Order: sequence, then C-alpha cells, then structure tokens
Amino acid sequence: MKDLAVIETILRNRHHFFIEIRDGVGLNQKMRAMLISSILFLALYGAVLGSTHSLWQTLSSAVKLPLLFLATLIVCSPTLYFFNVLFGSNQSLTQNVALILTAITVTAVLLLSFSPIVVFFLLTTASYQFFKLMNVSIFAICGIVGVVFLSQGMRIVSAAGREGTSARRVVMWLWVVVYAFVGSQMAWTLRPFIGAPSMEFELFRQLGGNFYTNVFASIGEILGFFVVR
Amino acid sequence: MSNPNERSTTDQILDLLLDALIERQKARRAQAQPPPAPAEAPTPPPPRPEPPPAEQRRTAARSMSTKPAAPPSPHREPQPEDPGQAAQSRSGLEEPPPQLPSIQMGKMLGRLALLIVALVVLVNIPVTRYGVSLARILPETTALIIRDGLVLKGSGSEIYVLEDDKLRWISSLDAFEHLGLTWQDVHVVDDEFLSRFEQGRPIHVLLKCQSSPHIYRLENEQKRWIKDIDTFLAEGHVWEDVRFVSCEYLRGLPDGPPIPEDARPPPEP
Repeated sequence: MKDLAVIETILRNRHHFFIEIRDGVGLNQKMRAMLISSILFLALYGAVLGSTHSLWQTLSSAVKLPLLFLATLIVCSPTLYFFNVLFGSNQSLTQNVALILTAITVTAVLLLSFSPIVVFFLLTTASYQFFKLMNVSIFAICGIVGVVFLSQGMRIVSAAGREGTSARRVVMWLWVVVYAFVGSQMAWTLRPFIGAPSMEFELFRQLGGNFYTNVFASIGEILGFFVVR
Repeated sequence: MSNPNERSTTDQILDLLLDALIERQKARRAQAQPPPAPAEAPTPPPPRPEPPPAEQRRTAARSMSTKPAAPPSPHREPQPEDPGQAAQSRSGLEEPPPQLPSIQMGKMLGRLALLIVALVVLVNIPVTRYGVSLARILPETTALIIRDGLVLKGSGSEIYVLEDDKLRWISSLDAFEHLGLTWQDVHVVDDEFLSRFEQGRPIHVLLKCQSSPHIYRLENEQKRWIKDIDTFLAEGHVWEDVRFVSCEYLRGLPDGPPIPEDARPPPEP
C-alpha cells in the first residue's frame, strides 16, 4: 500500500516529484514504488483482457502485459538517454529510466481505472473485433497521457541544462514515436493478450502480419467490409 | 508522504524568513564583489524538506512585496542554487505549485485493485454445466475468427465443422468424439450466422468389428450397412475414417436403412 502512494505524488504533486527526480532525491525508492505499482496494475488489466478467452489466457495476459511495458522500457531507454546527452542534457540514465517509469506508471493507473469499463463490455458484448479495437483505443489514450507526463517531467528535469533545450524537446518527441512503434511491435510479438474466441489458447502466436494491418482489418470487419480470417 | 500540516506555523514562517535573509545576503554579496569568483564553491541551499502551504506562501509574498529585497545585480551570473531558472521562466514554470495534502489515494487504489481482482475471479467462475464462465457465456457470432475446423452449433442439436466455407454436419456423438472434439470446442451461434454457409458433406464415423467384413456408417445413433467398396468410395469415405469396435457393441446398435437404400437387408456383423 505504501508503494501505491507514489501514484498520488505523481498525479497531484508532479512538479515536486519531477524536481526530486532532477535532484536525485530517493530515486531508488521512487523507481521501486513505480515498478511495483505499474506491474500490479498492468497485471490486473492483462487479467481482465485475457478473461474473454480462458483461464490460461487470463494468467498469461496478466504476466505478458507488464512484460510488454518493461521490455519496451529496456529497449528504448538507452536511445533517449544518449540522444539527450548528445544535446547537452546532464541527466543520468537512472533519471531517464525514472522518468519513463513515471510515464508507464501513469499509463498503468489509467488502464486500471478503465478496467471496470472493460469488464462491463466483456460481459455485455460478444464482438471480438469491437473488444480488440476498444482496448487499442484505451491503450492509445492512456499511452498519450503517460507520454504527456514524460514530456512535462523532461522539461522540469532537464531545465538545468541550458544548452540544446529545444533540440532535446524535438528528440523527446521523436523518441516518443519510436517508443510507440517499438511498443506496438512488442505487443504484436507477445500476442495474444485477448485471445480469439474460436482459437485454442496459445502462449505466443506465430509471427506474421503486423499490428497495424490487423487493426485496419478489425475496423474493416466492424464496418462490414470483410471478414477477418 | 509526510503531511505538511504536521509542522508548526511558527517553524514554517521562520523557514521562510531564513530563506529571505539568505537570498538578500547573496544579492548583497553579488553587488559587493562583481564578478563572483568562478572557483568559489557554491553555497548549498538550506534544507527545505517541505514547502509551506499556499496560504502561508501568499502571506509571505505579500510581506516581501511591502519590503522589497535588495535589487539584483544587472549582470548577475547564474547562481549554482538556481539551476534552470532561465529555462523555467521560458517554459512558464517560474515557481512550483504548492504541494497538495494527501487524499489517501494509495488506499483507494489498493481497494480498486482488490475490486478488479474480485471481478476477474467472478467472471472466470464456471456457471454452466459445460464449464462456461460469465465472461464467455454470450453467443459468439461476432466474436469468431472464421477458419477451417471451427465447430459451430445453432439453436438445434446439430453440430457442424466448418471446412472450405462449408458446414459439415457431425452425424453422431461417436463421430464427434472420433474427431477429438470436446464441448469446449463448440461455439454456439445464431442460426442466421449458420445460414451464411453452404452445407457440405456430413462427417460420419464408420464402424467395423474384427470378425466381420462389413462396414457400417453411424448416423443418428443407427448403423447403416455400406453395401460394397464401390459405394464406400462413392460416398467419399476413406479407410482412416473406419473405427474398430467390438462386434457386441456393433450388434447392439439399431439398424438404419442400408447404403444405397435399395440394397438388400443389412447383414449382422
């Protein structure tokens, strides 16, 4: 419960939180608290997603969703760090990771807040494609809010480095695009999270296709243009 | 998170005064010794564990405005204790907002997490005799990925397997089991959904016992004798469809019409 209190600090006193990250105050405790909170919340949301298919899918998604976010963090954080350093930042890698973890924590808590809505639709609609697109939209909304937090944090934390401020801002937004691409490809690689009702449970599905064509195909089926096979 | 209200008001006002005095002292030093020595060690800012509440900040600001501090040096160099002030002013972040008191969000989040756990458990508890849970109880017409091997059932008792966009009726429970299917594989759909597909050849299970040369087709829990090999092949059967059972079991099954129907009466297995 103590670790969950970090959420309140991030959401209500974010300026002070980011200043503490900038000054390196209690970084390890903050990162630990954010890691625990985001793993817990993402696991719960993953369990809700997997419930549409089977118990195995519930357990599998509860493990895979936190894994998706953490793996994306590990893959993407060095890029952000080195590009920031290149453009005059004096932040450490730990501070960068703490900032990205802040974004992930915000995303995770927002996803948790959407969970009751997802459970409601899970019980009242049987359309797999609709359910899938609804969750893609929820992830997009929560991800964007998380990234906005990251942007605010970057601005406050990197305020000490006077040189290259605008360049670092551009780097950050370019990094966000890369982060989104890596995240979506990671999600495609670790799929299924929901599990198509007519298919057997699989821990990982064979590679092929990509996230974007699948989303467009789902939109096409919902609009009645064709049937996804 | 510590509560800012825990500290006494006197302490907070004294902290504010101390900050103001330090600021003024620095400003005077900067005026007296322009430019400051670059090697001079920066004075660490006084410890400020908790900013005061908004009301006190405003009061302090008012008192400062009535008694202005020494004017800053026009060519004042950036001080080590105010890093990022220029960048902050550019981004409109001159002063951090006051820290808000706790509203026990951690507890609330813990409760929400417990609620979600309870919901997940609830929707995964099997509620029908077939072990179907609440989360998967709705008809799945629009939830299906159309593929070969999809097992479908409408409002009737017939169960079909989808193959090449055709519905193949599974003619008996034996055939159903012979295909290795379980109830978990069956997707209950609306009849309208089934009507989208053409009917294909039914799926039968063929039965034979060791001591008899005859082959029978199981259909609606009746055995139908297949007259000869030509008929067997003409019906599209293959040897792999034949299942060996005991002759007693085969004899116990009621006879249906032979295949073809104009053949002689079926022999006993």
